[in-house]
Amino acid sequence: MTDRDIILSLGGIAKSFGEKPALVHVNLDVARGEVHVICGENGAGKSTLMNILAGIHQPSAGSLVLNGRTVTIADPIAASRLGIGMVHQHFTLVPSMTVAENIFLGRQPRRFAILSDGQAMVERAAELIARYNFRLDPEAPVRTLSVGQRQRVEILKALAFDAELLILDEPTAVLTPPEVDELIGVVDGLRSKGRTVLFITHKLREVKAVSDRVTVIRHGRSVSTHRTADVTEADIARDMVGRDVFLVGRKSGGMRVIGDAVLALDRVTMTNHAGRRLLDRVSFEVRAGEVFGIAGVDGNGQTELAEAVAGLMPVQAGTIRFGERDMTVASVPARQAAGLGYVPEDRLDRGLSVTMSVAENVAAANYGRAGLVRNGLVSQSRLATFADDKIREFDVRGAQPATPAGWLSGGNMQKLVIARELERQPSLLLICQPTRGLDIGASEFVYKRILDAADRGAGVLLISSELSEIFALSDRIGVMYSGRLMGVLDRADADEGRVGVLMNGGAEQAA
Amino acid sequence: MTLTALLASVLEQSTPILLAALAAMITLRANILNVAVEGMMLAAAFTAIAVGGWSGSALQGFLAAIVVAILFSQLLALLTLRFSADFIVAGLGINLLAAGGTLFILERYYNSPGGLRPIAFPEIWHIPVGSLSRIPVIGPAFEDQSIIVLIAILAVPLSYVFLYHTPLGSNLRAAGEDEHAARSAGIRIERMKALSLAISGLLAGLAGAQLAMDKLHFFLPDMTSGRGFIGLAATLFGGGLPWMTTAAAVLFGFFGALGDRLQVFAIPSQFVLMLPYLAAILGLTFARWRIHLRNRPAKVTDESA
Amino acid sequence: MTASLLDVLRAIRAPVAAILLTLAIGFLLVASITDEPVRAYRDLLFANFDSLSNFALFLNRATPLTLIALGVVFAFRAGIFNVGGEGQLYAGAITTTVIGIAGASMPAIVLFPLALLGGIAAGAVVGWVPGVLKVRLAVDEVVTTLMLNIIVLLITSWLANQVIRDTTAYGAVSWMVPETIWLPPMPLVPRATSGFLVAVVLAFASWVVLFRTRWGAEVRAAGTNLRFAEATGVPAARRVITAMVVAGGLAGLAGSLYVLGVGHRFEQNFSPAYGLVGLTCALLARTHPIGALATALFYAMMLNGAAYMQISTDVPRSLVNLLTGLLVLLMTARLVRAARHA
Repeated sequence: MTDRDIILSLGGIAKSFGEKPALVHVNLDVARGEVHVICGENGAGKSTLMNILAGIHQPSAGSLVLNGRTVTIADPIAASRLGIGMVHQHFTLVPSMTVAENIFLGRQPRRFAILSDGQAMVERAAELIARYNFRLDPEAPVRTLSVGQRQRVEILKALAFDAELLILDEPTAVLTPPEVDELIGVVDGLRSKGRTVLFITHKLREVKAVSDRVTVIRHGRSVSTHRTADVTEADIARDMVGRDVFLVGRKSGGMRVIGDAVLALDRVTMTNHAGRRLLDRVSFEVRAGEVFGIAGVDGNGQTELAEAVAGLMPVQAGTIRFGERDMTVASVPARQAAGLGYVPEDRLDRGLSVTMSVAENVAAANYGRAGLVRNGLVSQSRLATFADDKIREFDVRGAQPATPAGWLSGGNMQKLVIARELERQPSLLLICQPTRGLDIGASEFVYKRILDAADRGAGVLLISSELSEIFALSDRIGVMYSGRLMGVLDRADADEGRVGVLMNGGAEQAA
Repeated sequence: MTLTALLASVLEQSTPILLAALAAMITLRANILNVAVEGMMLAAAFTAIAVGGWSGSALQGFLAAIVVAILFSQLLALLTLRFSADFIVAGLGINLLAAGGTLFILERYYNSPGGLRPIAFPEIWHIPVGSLSRIPVIGPAFEDQSIIVLIAILAVPLSYVFLYHTPLGSNLRAAGEDEHAARSAGIRIERMKALSLAISGLLAGLAGAQLAMDKLHFFLPDMTSGRGFIGLAATLFGGGLPWMTTAAAVLFGFFGALGDRLQVFAIPSQFVLMLPYLAAILGLTFARWRIHLRNRPAKVTDESA
Repeated sequence: MTASLLDVLRAIRAPVAAILLTLAIGFLLVASITDEPVRAYRDLLFANFDSLSNFALFLNRATPLTLIALGVVFAFRAGIFNVGGEGQLYAGAITTTVIGIAGASMPAIVLFPLALLGGIAAGAVVGWVPGVLKVRLAVDEVVTTLMLNIIVLLITSWLANQVIRDTTAYGAVSWMVPETIWLPPMPLVPRATSGFLVAVVLAFASWVVLFRTRWGAEVRAAGTNLRFAEATGVPAARRVITAMVVAGGLAGLAGSLYVLGVGHRFEQNFSPAYGLVGLTCALLARTHPIGALATALFYAMMLNGAAYMQISTDVPRSLVNLLTGLLVLLMTARLVRAARHA
């Protein structure tokens, strides 16, 4: 490959946020006209890398060469001027406006200097749509479009201004499987029109389906680049995960006593307003003393599953039992009384009130049990002592009882949430994405607490999109895909291949 | 009462409300609930009388009213967009400032806290009586209406064209509807919001000028008497859409024109005056309720499947 | 100790700056009008303490402001932007008056609690409506409270003008409520309403309820992060609605106490925008109950002081209206330019 064929070349890119390095050393060469996948686990640094290319972040070190010239990308406008088009995971479309209006938003063709030239706009949009064969109505309001169609509008927005290099950031995260197939077709079409596509994903199936070459990023480093045709999914997975991940894990597994079911779901179904099943007849049991892991790509019903078990979203059919008791329609406090501890997937959303103090956050839902209320009033001394105990026990750094919870780092916030939920000695611990955004030290701490809870006899329902985490902690593994539980495997029988097939909607091979 | 007289009365009552409604609409589309229309109207009404009476020129009074209302709108823009004050609180502050400021000037410089009544006040241009008599019913209703009534009628299609058929209007709507999307398209959100407030000031200034200059030729403290809020109610009821908002404003103006006459039927005027506000609350509630129903999860029918 | 003092100072820096800036602008205005700006300003701020009767009027002024501000504090702590203080106040005042007049033949021991509770309940209902609409249907509460203000004012205008109007008096005022249910004056300050004591007690009670009870913690949790509150088992929707009922009840109480303790009848113009000024006081105090008491006292001082200033100098009392507008305008502004979107 000659230099002329290289559209983009990154050399030794590094980026830290404060103390925490997000990218350590990334090298990357993207050839003109290829589809190049950047592949890596959540937290490997993919998003940071893309944000650098899109001009949102500036690299701390390293060089960026575009079309043979060293460039700095000051902001998103500069990126677009350099011919880099970015399609973010979160769409930047105005729902009430039409496809054409959205494509030309901020730079509409004019008539008589001040009026929009609606006709020219629609014609040019139709032309673009036809050129890439996107099957969109340029005059349809975006709010009437499906997610997949919106994504195509987003791609057109980038292409309308002659982006040579198109970056798609986790484009399949929000798509249903048929839409993913369509997107792959779209990307093929772009390649045949001579565009260069940088495609970010952590899903192995897509890597094989879409790309010419693949670069794997792990812990902020580019670890390998292959021609996709030369490698198997397993090869890529090995590069992505590395070997060290499997070292974290449970050592006490054999000593635990597995008891009766503490949670049993029977054909639990949840629908949205359009009748689509967010959860589709999900049935499984979590037994005392075991960690039941739910694996799956984000957005396949895991959030809804957690909300259903926690009592925060109603289910439309099926039953949820805690032990022998039917809790399908029970309130959150009733579920707490029946032994539920719930660590939500997003600590800033459901986990904490960032403006309230550490003490009040850790005391929430525990006032009665921890004896913090005296004569109808919250005893300040007891509250402070209680909070101090938790801070010490869970090693919440940088926290005083009166500190606003929002001042803590992500890992310490997470410890706070876990401290609160474990305080009640739950017989059922529902814990979602427990280490998202956490560093290794905090993650290990969280893993240990999860395993301790199981050792103590609690049933743990662990929901995570980090496969390594699921493998490291679970006794049994259920895999969700498109709202359905595709299968349940014993840890001993599970390997990445089998789980990966289920995660992508494949049937379990009769073996 | 003849149809013509009723129509004339509706036109007269609707004009300030319609202008106020458009003023609130243009900011609503930039995602600003503009509670300051009332204050901007009041300041404009006062300026119209003060400057008109002092200069003897209707045009000067008219222009000064508009300029003052725009200045108030830009003060609001400065505090909210630049110094991140809360839109509602600062907007209500504008109302108090306009009410307190006009009263203060009346007391301090005119020595007449009751109001301002120049001995001679120049007439703003009105459609000559008799000039439209050939058009049946409607023509005479327009006779003797001020030029501002015509401007208000013109402002409706203009605001529609501005919002939907100019790039600037698109940018403004995008900034109001989805800041993230607008910003990524290179649109300056703050600039769009300031622009919408300026247009709002212009329209509120027209409304205030109409109130003071059309027939009355004097200023009273609190002479807007809630018309800014009726306009806001009309906009909310009309969902921020130009034609619906106009319809609501005219409807509310119609009730206003009817208000006095309804007392004949033993309906207290207060209950008629209440209608716009009730309509706004009920209209919003109904709209949200429909969304609520639409978003309900579907029933599961084939449970065994 | 010094650290906590610094924290407090940091917390009140912005409102104090707004007050000082407003007072400074006011001083410039006063200085441009009169030769005795210092005297005028002394009167504006301190003439309330020149005599016992001035002091009494000051307390009477502070009472509704404090109660409305407390109502706003409850609403804001529950995450509701309650602009409806004025409507809730008027609902309370008119209901107490109507009950007082209609039940004039009843013994005071029955009528007094009936009139008082009726006023509180009326305010509470006017608070409940926007609360429910917000929580159940996500109807914007700023709109509903604003619109309800005007609706309630129109209803009271109808009642005061057409139904219970004192035909012997000038203006839209009702008949007097029976003297048997008048609130006794405050001990030691004969012309002051004992309603002020109620307001002070409630300010401290509000602080205890909001910051020292589990219910208060749950309201604040729901107000700062509704989804967090739900996840920890707080009936968040109910807490928010209840807080709005309390908020309306406090403003209703303010109206009720005004009628029973000061006006003894309903006057259509009895409130110089108490609702909005109460909101201002609550925001200036960073929605802290004790702070709201302090800002309400400060504001009552200014409102009454303006009248004394007008008597002793030639500064129009409407200066204070102007200053109120400025203060409200400046209050939520940050003098340090806010960081652009991070």
